[in-house]
Amino acid sequence: MLRFILRRLLAGVILLFAVSSLAYLLLYLGAGDIARQILGQEATQEQVQQLNTRLGLDQPLLTRYFGWLAGAVTGDFGASWFTNQPVIAAITSRLAVTLSLVIGTVTLTAIVGTALGVWAARKRGAADRTVQIVSVLGFAIPGFLIAIFLVNLFALNLKLFRPTGYIPIGTSFTGWLSTVTLPIIALAIGAIAAIAAQVRGSVIDTMRQDWVRTLRSRGLSENRVLYKHVLRNAGGPALAVLAVQFVGLLGGAVIVEQIFAIPGLGPIATQSTGQGDIPLVMGLVVVTAALVVVVNIVIEILHGFLNPKARIS
Amino acid sequence: MSESAIIPPTEVATEVRAARSHIGRRILKNPTGLAAIIVLSLIVLSAIFADLLAPMSPTTPNIQEVLAPPGEGGHVLGADSAGRDVLSRLLFATRFSLAGALWAVLIAAVIGVTSGLIAGYYQKFFEQFSVWVISIIQALPGIVVLLAARAVVGPSLWIIMAVFGLILSPAFYRLTYAAVVGVRNELYVDAARVAGVGDLSIIGRHILSVVRAPIIIQAALLSGIGIAVQSGLDFLGLGDPNVPTWGQMLSDAFSRMYQQPLLLVWPAAAIAFTSIALVLFGNALRDELERAAGKPKKRRRGSAAYTPDTSGPAPVVHAEDREDGRPTLLEVNDLVVGYDQPDGTVKQVVNGVSLKVKKGEVHGLIGESGSGKTQTAWSILRLLPAGGRIVAGTVFFDGKDLAHLSEKEMTKIRGRRISYIPQEPMSNLDPSFTIGSQLVEPMRVTLGISKAEATKRALGLLARVGLPNPQKTFDSYPHEVSGGQAQRVLIAGAVSCEPDLIIADEPTTALDVTVQAEILDLLRELQNDLHVAILIVTHNFGVVADLCDRVSVMQHGKIVETGPARSIFKDPRHPYTKSLFDAILEDGAARGPLAHSADRNMLEEGAAR
Amino acid sequence: MFRLKRAAAVALAATLALAGCAAGGGETGGGDGSGGGDGGGGTLTWGVIAPASTFAQKDMRWANESPYGQAVYDSLLRANPDFEVEPNLATEWEYNEDNTVLTLTLRDDVTFTNGETLTAEDAAASLLAFKGGASPNATLLRNLADARAIDETTLELTLGAPDPGMLSNLTQNAGLVAPAELVDDPAMATEPVGSGPYILNTGETVVGSSYVFDKNEDYWKPEDQHYDKLVLQVYTDPTALLNAVQGGQLNVTNVVDKTTVPQMEAAGYTLNRSELDWSGFLIMDRAGTLVPALGDVRVRQAINFALDREALLATMGAGFGEPTTQIFAPWSPSFDEELDEFYEYDVDRAKELLAEAGYEDGFEVTMPQTPSVAASTWTLMADQLAQIGITVNYEQVQATEFIPGILAAKYPMTWFQLQMGPTDWQLSQFQIAEQATWNPLRYTTPEVEEWIATIQTGTEDEAAEAGQELNRYLVENAWNAPFFRPTVTFMSDANTEAVPQTGNAVPYLWNVQPK
Repeated sequence: MLRFILRRLLAGVILLFAVSSLAYLLLYLGAGDIARQILGQEATQEQVQQLNTRLGLDQPLLTRYFGWLAGAVTGDFGASWFTNQPVIAAITSRLAVTLSLVIGTVTLTAIVGTALGVWAARKRGAADRTVQIVSVLGFAIPGFLIAIFLVNLFALNLKLFRPTGYIPIGTSFTGWLSTVTLPIIALAIGAIAAIAAQVRGSVIDTMRQDWVRTLRSRGLSENRVLYKHVLRNAGGPALAVLAVQFVGLLGGAVIVEQIFAIPGLGPIATQSTGQGDIPLVMGLVVVTAALVVVVNIVIEILHGFLNPKARIS
Repeated sequence: MSESAIIPPTEVATEVRAARSHIGRRILKNPTGLAAIIVLSLIVLSAIFADLLAPMSPTTPNIQEVLAPPGEGGHVLGADSAGRDVLSRLLFATRFSLAGALWAVLIAAVIGVTSGLIAGYYQKFFEQFSVWVISIIQALPGIVVLLAARAVVGPSLWIIMAVFGLILSPAFYRLTYAAVVGVRNELYVDAARVAGVGDLSIIGRHILSVVRAPIIIQAALLSGIGIAVQSGLDFLGLGDPNVPTWGQMLSDAFSRMYQQPLLLVWPAAAIAFTSIALVLFGNALRDELERAAGKPKKRRRGSAAYTPDTSGPAPVVHAEDREDGRPTLLEVNDLVVGYDQPDGTVKQVVNGVSLKVKKGEVHGLIGESGSGKTQTAWSILRLLPAGGRIVAGTVFFDGKDLAHLSEKEMTKIRGRRISYIPQEPMSNLDPSFTIGSQLVEPMRVTLGISKAEATKRALGLLARVGLPNPQKTFDSYPHEVSGGQAQRVLIAGAVSCEPDLIIADEPTTALDVTVQAEILDLLRELQNDLHVAILIVTHNFGVVADLCDRVSVMQHGKIVETGPARSIFKDPRHPYTKSLFDAILEDGAARGPLAHSADRNMLEEGAAR
Repeated sequence: MFRLKRAAAVALAATLALAGCAAGGGETGGGDGSGGGDGGGGTLTWGVIAPASTFAQKDMRWANESPYGQAVYDSLLRANPDFEVEPNLATEWEYNEDNTVLTLTLRDDVTFTNGETLTAEDAAASLLAFKGGASPNATLLRNLADARAIDETTLELTLGAPDPGMLSNLTQNAGLVAPAELVDDPAMATEPVGSGPYILNTGETVVGSSYVFDKNEDYWKPEDQHYDKLVLQVYTDPTALLNAVQGGQLNVTNVVDKTTVPQMEAAGYTLNRSELDWSGFLIMDRAGTLVPALGDVRVRQAINFALDREALLATMGAGFGEPTTQIFAPWSPSFDEELDEFYEYDVDRAKELLAEAGYEDGFEVTMPQTPSVAASTWTLMADQLAQIGITVNYEQVQATEFIPGILAAKYPMTWFQLQMGPTDWQLSQFQIAEQATWNPLRYTTPEVEEWIATIQTGTEDEAAEAGQELNRYLVENAWNAPFFRPTVTFMSDANTEAVPQTGNAVPYLWNVQPK
């Protein structure tokens, strides 16, 4: 087990290296005149030149890259070009916010998605079509429209929640709920659709397995077989989809955080990519890639827990 | 986002294999599919004929008509923030949005399918390599790649969508890969390889045909995503501002959301309708494939009024050779089993079967694949596959009509009174639980005994069925034991709750010849010790000769001949029974496990339709 | 099985919490707006549209970022809402005869938040640090040759050349004062030490999203501290900002998207108007180097006549603004109301002028287009010129390449929005003079340079006269083709009063107070 994790982590580190190198290159390909961007319209050309030198932008790309890499391996990702905040501080202070959103969403998604999926798989017919239509709608309606609708209805008209902002869970749990409930719902709708579709499919698939008949022939009720045996077997593919969703939700959180003005990674992600704040973008790339690696390892371990064939010896 | 609505690849791949009939015609008969196709056709037509349909130029601005409401100045749907005609823009946007999305999906399909085929077929190095590339594509934030692409090549709808296609390609890769791995070792692929057919030709002819349908489904779903993403990219300003697309329109409308909210409706509706139509098309296609693969889906409750057809000659009945004082345990009368069809009809698979099993008796139900014997066995247990039901007849067991028992009461009968030994041992154990827990759980539920007691009994049973190391088998997972061992485990499970009747569905068919004999010996021993009645379904006269007191021969869902085993062996009267005997004599041996069990399953189920 | 049970438990917890926060929601809503009434205390929650680039005094920015600077620092001088210079840290100031030495007398009762007393030494060090710092406004002090402390409270500034903008510069970021020993300390960027009315609460602040300040209890001018707490909440998304306003979460705010102003007014907020920029075509190639046609004054005038400014204002500026043809600000002594309407929309006149200049068949011009401005805006602008036969070829550039491209003299003309002033001198140095940043093709004429020289060195009256002549000359010769002056829309809730600041994007901190 430990060896497996270590091996996976090593592979993850190599992946991180590959991803960060590629991202670094791509970012500089995409970057315009950053110093001018930082200084704005009022600065003179001389000031722009000075800043270019100060940021090391006049050096060759490889020199800059190795400089960045040398810092990155020691955990120093530099400071944002636009807010001067150290990248590590910027990300760590916000990561918890985004993670609390995403983990909340994943939890909600897993619960509601599984319930809907099982319901659709069992009842088929009308239930099935209902879930299918809800899925398609959740998938076709742009997330920001859902978010705007939720805010207008529940925050502005019914005044049940705060329309924008964030209260840390440590400050007040109810406060936290009042700020994250709507964003989590907005985020979850699409993800629930995907999980429900997946669970429906794999439950139907698993229900057709021969051993389901055999277990029932032993006197186990349909529900018992479904919830104990079928769900566990159907869980593997659903977990894989959930892992993909987790990564997707990190992206979705960007938009939702923007609309709800939540100080997570979203606002700095949009700002930094829009402005070309390369140190910050690189920090975000590394952190998200690392999250992806970790989530995949966790999912693989969970998968082994569900499926003995995939168990790591 | 890009992964949502993706169907599990294996599910479809296996199903498609059986679907050789024309899916195109079927989908037109599926109401959802037809509606989706009509909507999609209309959308595509309006895209193609945008030049003819559009009342005005989609790009000519008019500062005097900025945000004109619908109807004003000849603008049917109003004018946008530059005073351009919304209807005309919508029509042209349809053209570019669809083309952009299809282009992305095409790129994704070409890259994903090609690499999936190669990786799945050759595996080894290429597989490793693909896994790496995919990990990188997934871990790299798409927005960084797209921003870089835009910076390098400028705002071009086609190039940005091509890059997006690249990002999307793992979805196709995974689907294709899974499907190819699923079939690469199939018999017909092996056969082709042995016959010297080249790899390319195999991939083209045998493998591609299998993954074709799932790829179409995936493409339909991904086109929906492609449209959504294309809009998103335009929304972010990554697209070409001079090409009208739904995304451009949405972005424009969004900036005027508080002045002219109606502007949001048109592009949003276009995107929603198109993606819904695409997803429904994909789903309908999948449903049709599922159906084609022999998995009936819908159940019409109104079809109870169906009048079963039990016509045909009465079976040949052999006289009892001696009076048997044993009481009747199971009495099936005029049993009709049918499957509801989507068109409301019922496909009959058992056409009025009657048979009796006496206490402690072994009754053989023999017949060819597809004769309905397994369906009969399942219907006694009331464990027919989805869509199947007892249409008519009675199943009296110990005085109760099982055909009309509630599900709750039926659950009490199963295991405790009637148990079941399946045909294919490996697929009849839940792979996620240990063998022990699968034995213990039913005993605790049906007998209400403690876990310790059930464990003790389970270990005893495992020893009883001849497993050399009961504790080891108890702790094993199904994939850790051999087929013969698994069948012993299943037999142990079947007798664990001391039933009165065991229904054994071809208990030896899937096993090696040597193991077959051992299992039959075991069944005989158990039957002698426990005095349990057995209804054994088989196509093998050897088994019948070995075990049975009484035999019923089935053909086309009917019993054609029934009577004491000895009498039928001595004097087969029905031509079908005779032909079965002739077949044995010619072969000189009982039919072995030649046919692939999966194929058999399929044939039986195919017959069920 | 256990999953479902847990799901039920979570759902229950959520329901309970909802019931709780429904009551709490009302309270917090009231709490946000509690600044009003008692004339002191409470929290001011201010919606800002830009995060703080830095808190370091030497690199400090202004305009949308001025509240950050004004919260933690004091400036040597202060501008009132009409942009007239008033005392602040400096109580008196005096120029020598040729306007090259400025002597200021500072207060002696001001302390920094680290406990030290603010002296002329600190002021001198701060000015020199700012001049060499990374602020885009560092050029405000380009004429500052030296700054030194004569004694604890006397500061002497030596100018390399007379600078009529110097006093007003000292009311802005250029005049902020930090402790001398800390001006170059990198920690100042995130943990500033100043003498201002508020202290940055780094614990509660989320950099980039929400900046929290506590009242400086030892502040020398308590009458300017209207609140106990100041929260500068960053909103870059117009929808989020509108939601926050409609939910009553902000006392005052700048506006990201002007089309949301009616909704904000409907939510009970007051619109406070001011002006800052002009929006329109910068015709940079007045010499005709890139496009010969633009060298002809009649062509440039034709462009001006071809603009339907009212319509452009309605679409581009959501109707918030004043059509104009001049680039001087209404608060400038050189401003001439007549010049707002010098070129009436007249396509025929425009075509005539083009024909006179020999371009009856029109010509082509390349302009940059960036996605940070709505695509339809570019379409409409091009359409204005297309009416008179001028074809605009847009070059698609990223947001990051837009300004650099213009300043690299790649384009003959472009659309842009530039700041007016705040003084004539600054305006001329920013976009008129030969070496001005926004005169990338370095076009000028002797008379223009002469007027600018008079503005620099002449008396107030001479400067005003020169400015007026310069203004008229630029309009008549169509150096640019302005569309309109967009209104700066600053919203305040029912409990808060905000006085717009001339020459700045947002009101000054002390001019926002409870009603």
